[in-house]
Amino acid sequence: MKKVHIFLAEDNSADVWLIQEALRRQSLLFHLDHYLTAQDAINAVRVYGSNDSPVPDLLLLDYNLPGGQGSDVLIAAAANPKLAAVPKAILSSFLRPDEMSEAANMGALCFIPKPANLTEFLRDVGAKVTELLLQSGAISGKTTNA
Amino acid sequence: MSAQAGAQAVVSKIRRAGVKLLLVDDDRANLLALEAILEPLEQDLMLAQTGTEALRMCLDHDFAAILLDVRMPEMDGFETAEMIRRRERSRQTPILFLTAYRSDEQLFRGYDLGAVDFLFKPIVPEVLQSKVKVFVELSRSEQLLRQHAEELARTERKFRAVLEAAPDAMVITTEEGRIELANSRVDRLFQHSREALIGRNIRTLIPEWSTPDSAALARDQPPAEVRLAAIRHDGSSFPVQITRSPFRSPDAFLITTAIRDATDQVEGEARIHRTNSELERRVAERTAALTYSNEALRQFAWAASHDLQEPIRTVLAYAQWLSQTTRGTMGPGAEQMLEVIEQHASRLNQLLGALRQYIQVSESGQQQWTLVDANAAAGAAVSNLQTIIEQSGASVVCESLPTILSIEILLVQIFQNLIGNGIKYRSREVPAIHVSAESKENGWVFSVRDNGIGIDAKYFNYIFGMFRRLHGAEQSGTGIGLAICKSAIERLGGQIWVESAPSAGSVFRFFLPMGERDEKSSHISG
Repeated sequence: MKKVHIFLAEDNSADVWLIQEALRRQSLLFHLDHYLTAQDAINAVRVYGSNDSPVPDLLLLDYNLPGGQGSDVLIAAAANPKLAAVPKAILSSFLRPDEMSEAANMGALCFIPKPANLTEFLRDVGAKVTELLLQSGAISGKTTNA
Repeated sequence: MSAQAGAQAVVSKIRRAGVKLLLVDDDRANLLALEAILEPLEQDLMLAQTGTEALRMCLDHDFAAILLDVRMPEMDGFETAEMIRRRERSRQTPILFLTAYRSDEQLFRGYDLGAVDFLFKPIVPEVLQSKVKVFVELSRSEQLLRQHAEELARTERKFRAVLEAAPDAMVITTEEGRIELANSRVDRLFQHSREALIGRNIRTLIPEWSTPDSAALARDQPPAEVRLAAIRHDGSSFPVQITRSPFRSPDAFLITTAIRDATDQVEGEARIHRTNSELERRVAERTAALTYSNEALRQFAWAASHDLQEPIRTVLAYAQWLSQTTRGTMGPGAEQMLEVIEQHASRLNQLLGALRQYIQVSESGQQQWTLVDANAAAGAAVSNLQTIIEQSGASVVCESLPTILSIEILLVQIFQNLIGNGIKYRSREVPAIHVSAESKENGWVFSVRDNGIGIDAKYFNYIFGMFRRLHGAEQSGTGIGLAICKSAIERLGGQIWVESAPSAGSVFRFFLPMGERDEKSSHISG
């Protein structure tokens, strides 16, 4: 199976572990580019595609980051044409309707909630990431239950 | 008393009193003859036999005419006439000379002395009667005229007294504004001498003065007050309040203008205006400050709930993770402790969720008012509550509800909290929730009835407060649900109340007003 390349901007390392666990439970082989602050994430998305650096298959952005917001990273990503076809998703415990529509305007494909319940978290986040990867063609259908 | 009635009274008084005639002749027989001739005229006849006697009578009486015999001893008729003429009171009294001689000399002298006529003896009764009658009529007319003049003078004095007593400066002008009359207050108000103003135009005092609308006069409307600028003698300007009242006299169209100094009034109004705008400014400032602090508070609450959410979600997830990965390997005490951590983290998580909901409901946000089918809103609430409905086996029955102008998410939240409460605070019976609506004059009253544990009347207000709970941890409430309902209903312009008793179930009712733009509400069967 192909190893998927996932970009993750997330300041809560506890959540990073949970996301990794969720991906593992989807039996996904993955490589994680993980950034802790908005600035680091912005710098990273600007250079993807240049110098032959590999372009990630998915951008996962926490909404609240130190020094900025997920939408700031989305703006930087939108400026990089190499990332145009890459699905982007916003992660958060919850978003207000206005925050959600702002993220959608900035190019986020979807909002992935972080449920408080562990079982729901692992199930929902994992399922959503798999769905996005399937949609973009980064993985083939054979990993799904169907 | 009208002028006409007054004149009639005067005439009748004169008739009663009669007119006095003085007959002078030294011959007693002649006097009696004259008296007999004039008797039918029914006037007061006074008789004198000498000039002296006649003069004395003239001192005390006014005569319509004096019949004077020319030839008398001591003082003859001409001498008597001369004396009569010298006296002020009798200067104008008509004198008729009675004489037996027709001589030009006599006639000239008589007319010189102011005689009006000569009667020649022997007297022809009819001639005497008709001549005297003329003078009687003349005298009567004169008296009448005098009475009228006195009456007029009295009226004039009354009128001037009224004019002077008026609290305002009063100016009577012609239609064009030429001043005919002014009271003494005009002097004081304008520092002009009144005499100097007569004949000048009122616009000297009030440049913008205009002839009042005569159509308004015809409609008998009370004169309107007008605020204009007035100018004093020294050229200084001040505000006045004027009232113009036109009246038509037989020979002219005159306008009475009452002028009142409005300086105090204008200053008072300016003061009130200043005070008002100062008040308005303060209210605006206060509102802005409140709006700002409300918004700041809302943002703070939102950020706080967000920042608190992250750690507690992590604690919860990791407690669960630990419990899953170590199941059976820890001692029973440790597992129980982990369970307590989970329970409380879960509860805090729940509270934060409810708090966010409350903030969203009370937000000054941009939610749109639309026509909302309350059946659909209740349906959405039921579907959100699917898990606890299934767990409890509750039945939720919605009668046909109206379509109203509202904010959909608020209505869903209201139903969700009320139905959810009905299930959460259940009695031993299987929860049964009944939702209905009743049309009122200016809105709808919705009812959510349950068969739960009920509420003591003393808590009817308490329960709608923030974080208010009546039950311990055995019930899963956050103490925010009813506060959310109250806030949402108030945002929709309505109100909520409860009817309940312990172990008798509760009916939560809320009134939502019919919006102005509300179309004819239609029932949608659901």
